[in-house]
Amino acid sequence: MSEQTEQAEQMNVFEPHEWRHKTIVAGTEWKNLVGTASGTFQLDACGDYYDVSQMGAICTKGVSPVPWEGNPSPRTAESPSGMVNAVGLQNPGVDHYLIDELPRLKKLGAMVITNVAGHSDEDYTQVVEKLADSEADMLEINVSCPNVSHGGMSVGTDPVVLSRLIKHLRTLTDKPMIVKLSPNVTDIVQIAHAAVDAGADALSLINTLVGMRIDINTGKPIIANRTGGVSGPAIFPIALSFVWRVRQAIPDIPIIGIGGIDSGEKALEYLYAGANAVEVGAAALFDPTAPMRVARELDDLLDSRPELAAKLAKGQTW
Amino acid sequence: MPTVTTRTVEQQAIKAGRKPGRRTDEVIAASVLSDGIYELVIRDPYVARTAEPAQFVNLYPSDARMVLPRPFGVAKIEGDDVTLIYQIVGAGTQEFSQLQAGDVVDVLGPLGKPFDVSKPANYVLVGGGLGVPPLLYAAQILNQRNDGSEVTSVFGYRDECFADDLVAPFADRTHSIVNAEGNVVDLLNDIEDELNNAGKQPIILSCGPTPMMKAVAAWASKRNIPAQFSLEARMGCGYGACVACVVDTPSGRLKVCKDGPVFTTEELGWEA
Ligand SMILES: Cc1cc2nc3c(=O)[nH]c(=O)nc-3n(C[C@H](O)[C@H](O)[C@H](O)COP(=O)(O)OP(=O)(O)OC[C@H]3O[C@@H](n4cnc5c(N)ncnc54)[C@H](O)[C@@H]3O)c2cc1C
Ligand SMILES: Cc1cc2nc3c(=O)[nH]c(=O)nc-3n(C[C@H](O)[C@H](O)[C@H](O)COP(=O)(O)O)c2cc1C
Ligand code: FES
Repeated sequence: MSEQTEQAEQMNVFEPHEWRHKTIVAGTEWKNLVGTASGTFQLDACGDYYDVSQMGAICTKGVSPVPWEGNPSPRTAESPSGMVNAVGLQNPGVDHYLIDELPRLKKLGAMVITNVAGHSDEDYTQVVEKLADSEADMLEINVSCPNVSHGGMSVGTDPVVLSRLIKHLRTLTDKPMIVKLSPNVTDIVQIAHAAVDAGADALSLINTLVGMRIDINTGKPIIANRTGGVSGPAIFPIALSFVWRVRQAIPDIPIIGIGGIDSGEKALEYLYAGANAVEVGAAALFDPTAPMRVARELDDLLDSRPELAAKLAKGQTW
Repeated sequence: MPTVTTRTVEQQAIKAGRKPGRRTDEVIAASVLSDGIYELVIRDPYVARTAEPAQFVNLYPSDARMVLPRPFGVAKIEGDDVTLIYQIVGAGTQEFSQLQAGDVVDVLGPLGKPFDVSKPANYVLVGGGLGVPPLLYAAQILNQRNDGSEVTSVFGYRDECFADDLVAPFADRTHSIVNAEGNVVDLLNDIEDELNNAGKQPIILSCGPTPMMKAVAAWASKRNIPAQFSLEARMGCGYGACVACVVDTPSGRLKVCKDGPVFTTEELGWEA
């Protein structure tokens, strides 16, 4: 019997659950410590498999000012214990998001983190302005996508550019603003400081690592975009170390740990590394119920760690 | 023998008004159909009860280095048992080819939007290579109906005609061709009179390599024959969460796994 099914057997991931442990991230109260990671959650798909309002938070796919068609196919390749993707932030745009997905998520009772994407400062500005009065609970500014040619990662790798953008966005909204950091940098701590000093209320890390695969029969890259972002179990120890380093450097900023989480145990490692909450990404693609299962497993694991649980429930960091 | 828990996952999900997530199915039978082409029968009551033609299931290798789903069209259903037919192309299918009765394999599904077979018609199943399995299931379903629908199979093979015997019990007319003799469009030309004389409106259901399907689309649209195509794309999830599996259509990039895999000629803009 596979690990997944064994766990589904023990815990019914489909039924509602009395959460025993919560967390507070930048003033928002999560009913458990697990959210869905951006780009791996679509309401119409994931909502078939579990009650999305039961998650700690739902982080949406990147939302851009106008509809984006993303990159050409193929957009994925497998890598050992992971995947490379270059979706390129295909999404129907912020106006559609505001009349369609966001109201539906809120109607279900989900706490929503809206992931904000842009090619330029103006793009980010337009999206944040439109979201400022929306029902979104938090904004996650994606300055770290490796799969768009302008904006995305190029913003997130330069502390000066990043600082200017975040300072500006700060003036546009009172909503808790999470800045999602890229691991594709020389010094993550320097970037983290820039985001926090410019007004970020929380950090999420990490986004995907730049990678590629080549088809040895043709000698050509498998992904049409040639390179993509690596995620999944393969990046877990790397992502964990990024969280730990930023936590060592900045003791009092809320951190959302992301990267390779596919079990409660791995989520718990992030908490010990200094995260206040986590998001499950690629694992949800390999099993639609994975975010819920991880949340349930972590809830159980925290029962025997009352001090850690109490600290997180109060929104304390290090 | 491991405990098979498919039913538990299924019952929990249905009780909660959800679809069952990834689960572990028992392998009932495994055999070789032809060189490099395998048949796998798994027991999955939920798929058996709900799958429609052209829907597919994800199989997952047990080797944790391979994380992505391997999608396969449902080829036949008998009781709680679901038959898949696949070709070895890489490491995942290589692993599946080692499965034997009594083993287990992780599964998700059924997934995707099926062929629309609601109208009574002469369904012309045009398949190439490993596009044939979903058409076998279409033939099985159509054969069970009493609305006067007919089934004509038009299969193109690389060499060995591995599916002719499988479709024959469900089809009114069977035709096949191997690469050395020509392709399915040649075959369609050969049987055009037969299609016209069948007396029933033909509707083409097709699955196979994209160039083949485009040629079939052109052939069909020149003759005003409605056609539906089941597409393939590299998938990240297979159920609509990642937007990896897109196809370019006149109305934008659509997800093969959730908006498809079935699309009409018009939806694809594949008219001649
Ligand atoms: C909707 C759908 C239905 C399918 N039905 C069948 C079927 O009934 N019988 C059959 O033999 N094959 C079918 N295929 C193709 C089948 O999924 C691939 O041959 C299989 O995934 C290859 O896995 P691998 O590990 O052996 O190959 P590898 O090349 O080692 O796999 C690496 C990655 O590439 C992906 N990949 C490789 N080839 C394909 C392909 N042709 N299409 C999509 N992704 C691919 C794999 O899924 C995996 O993620 C179908 C594909 C789709 C999209
Ligand atoms: C298919 C796919 C699409 C993604 N799209 C986005 C996105 O739109 N915005 C974003 O900030 N991150 C995006 N990500 C990154 C994830 O949110 C996450 O940071 C990363 O995948 C690492 O976590 P994981 O190992 O759990 O997948 C995407 C990841 C994947 C696999
Ligand atoms: S494979 Fe994920 S959306 Fe189709």
